[in-house]
Amino acid sequence: MTRTEPQDVETPINLYEEQEEGRQSPFDRKARDGFLPIQTNWFDRVFISVIIWVALSLFWLRFMEPAGLPLTISNVVAVLVGVYIVWKG
Amino acid sequence: MQSNRLGWILLAPTLVILFFFGVVPFFYVLWLSFHQWNPFALDPAVVYNGADNFRALVFDNGFLASLGVTIAFVFFAVLTELIVGYLLAQAFMKEFPGKAVFRTIHTLPLIMAPIIVGSIWKLMTTPSIGIIPSLLASWFGFDLNIGTSAVAAFTVTVIMDVWHWTPLVTLTLIAALVSLPADPFEQAQIDGANKRQIFWHITLPMIAPALLATVFIRLMDALRTVDEVLMLTGGGPGSATRYLGVHIFKEVFPKTNYGYGSAVSIIVLYLTIVACWLLYVALIAPRNKKA
Amino acid sequence: MKRQRTWLYLLFWVVVSFLTLFPIYWLFVISVKPAVELFSTPEVILSSVYWKNYVDVINDETLRGYMMNSLVISTGNAVLVTVLGFLACYALSRFDLGGKESIFFWTITNRMAPPAVFLLPLFLLLTQVYKFGDFTLLDTKIGMILVYCTFNLPFAIWTLRPTIDGIPKELDEAAFVDGASAWTVITEIVLPLARPGLAVTLILTWVFAWNEYLLAATLTNFNARTLTTGLSEYVTTTGTEWGVMAAISMFTLVPALIVFSLVQRHIVAGLTFGAVKG
Repeated sequence: MTRTEPQDVETPINLYEEQEEGRQSPFDRKARDGFLPIQTNWFDRVFISVIIWVALSLFWLRFMEPAGLPLTISNVVAVLVGVYIVWKG
Repeated sequence: MQSNRLGWILLAPTLVILFFFGVVPFFYVLWLSFHQWNPFALDPAVVYNGADNFRALVFDNGFLASLGVTIAFVFFAVLTELIVGYLLAQAFMKEFPGKAVFRTIHTLPLIMAPIIVGSIWKLMTTPSIGIIPSLLASWFGFDLNIGTSAVAAFTVTVIMDVWHWTPLVTLTLIAALVSLPADPFEQAQIDGANKRQIFWHITLPMIAPALLATVFIRLMDALRTVDEVLMLTGGGPGSATRYLGVHIFKEVFPKTNYGYGSAVSIIVLYLTIVACWLLYVALIAPRNKKA
Repeated sequence: MKRQRTWLYLLFWVVVSFLTLFPIYWLFVISVKPAVELFSTPEVILSSVYWKNYVDVINDETLRGYMMNSLVISTGNAVLVTVLGFLACYALSRFDLGGKESIFFWTITNRMAPPAVFLLPLFLLLTQVYKFGDFTLLDTKIGMILVYCTFNLPFAIWTLRPTIDGIPKELDEAAFVDGASAWTVITEIVLPLARPGLAVTLILTWVFAWNEYLLAATLTNFNARTLTTGLSEYVTTTGTEWGVMAAISMFTLVPALIVFSLVQRHIVAGLTFGAVKG
């Protein structure tokens, strides 16, 4: 009976596989390079967008809303930024 | 290989438990954070109130003060632990008699319940029964009172955390140092590099991944420090040591304002995730450098 | 020259060990002093040992109950998570389940969340949602055992995975070919080989459950109160009974230390959460 090597546990790092050449859809499961400083797959970019959305909303509630600018503006901005990140990031 | 059904059956209990006690609470608290709910108020209904909880949160001075001291605490505690832990790990790289025994002793605090650590340091530092205030008073004439001095209370919580968690840093760094190859160090010595140059240009870059991983773990744990501080100072004096976890436990939870409490919980979770995620990115980014 | 350096290191480590051990020793000193002696000048050397604080703790029926609760909850939880973690790891290791690495990673993230965040939702869920008629999980031992799974189950899966992966697949495949049932394979082939890993996992999860305070403090009132909550309760109600407080602390500390000494060598990797493969 031969002893096999222990199966390699996929670490989170392995999720960021080397990207393939050529154009990709934003929702390709493979990681890729964009304007963000790290390789990201689509889930990472959605995650980054959500983080930015929350941060922007909190900032807006504290500093902008008292000045009369409604939260809707920040939400619109956040969605635009989010779409841009998911598309190009 | 048999059918995958068996695999799912074996996995099912784990997934069910984690679903009910991990996932459901998360979405429940997220949902509640957009609602107004105080079951003991005049109007005990659950009412959707949009971002009102968060609107109140960003102007809540108690919360913001707690956030400030938490950041200060995490910074000082983790930094001190890294420096002391590195020095101790280096000191373990030499051979000397009784090394295993000293290593075991050094590991002891890790296994202790945080609340016991708090209790021990309370007995060490409470004026009139603790040994530290009495020694400080008789040697330097310094009056240490963690019940009244904010700085003293903060410092003692940092020292307590360093005492409790430095062994973890030491152990991970020993593992990293042991696995380093010898060649670069020999080469550097031949080239006449001094100790400081060797540290900055060879040791540090080579142990950087392990160092970051350690920071990652320590940051996560330091951010959720509650038990020991609750025991030692109860968050006082004032809000000097009311770290985020303590804030939730002592200020938010008992007020039964569950909607607002959920908003606080969500933001604490958010901050933890962001802090850890940034470190995680720092951890993996160097390995995925663009060509 | 070389000899001198060795002595320096030795001296250095004696000092460090002293700093590590002294607070624990001080806890012991306080616990064996009568209340009247505490407020005189603190003395490091014990002149006499006074065991009454310990006797008081043992004779206190409430604290004895808490001690039993702690024992039942941490043992129940450790056994449960070790068994479930073992089965889950076997499934993850041997079957080709869709998205299993995502599942593995997701279970681990469960442990990273700060418990303080989950106080409120867990409290509300246990009191309002997870109930069967009049029976709620709040303040029950079974409730606490299940709640502790949130941090111990991921840990068990995480520490057991390499153990199970390290057991050759051919062994159980051969047994299946011979017509053995899944139950026989798991209990008679995999289980004996995984025993060392299971023991370490059992002990570490036991210590984590034994040490837990925050969730126990909010999710129990009396019937399932643990020793750690008993300690803090004692401090808030009596305030200055330092000797008894130290004695309760010793009762909480000693089981963990005994258990620790059993697996001291294996424990390092577990505690460092695999930050570095040593």
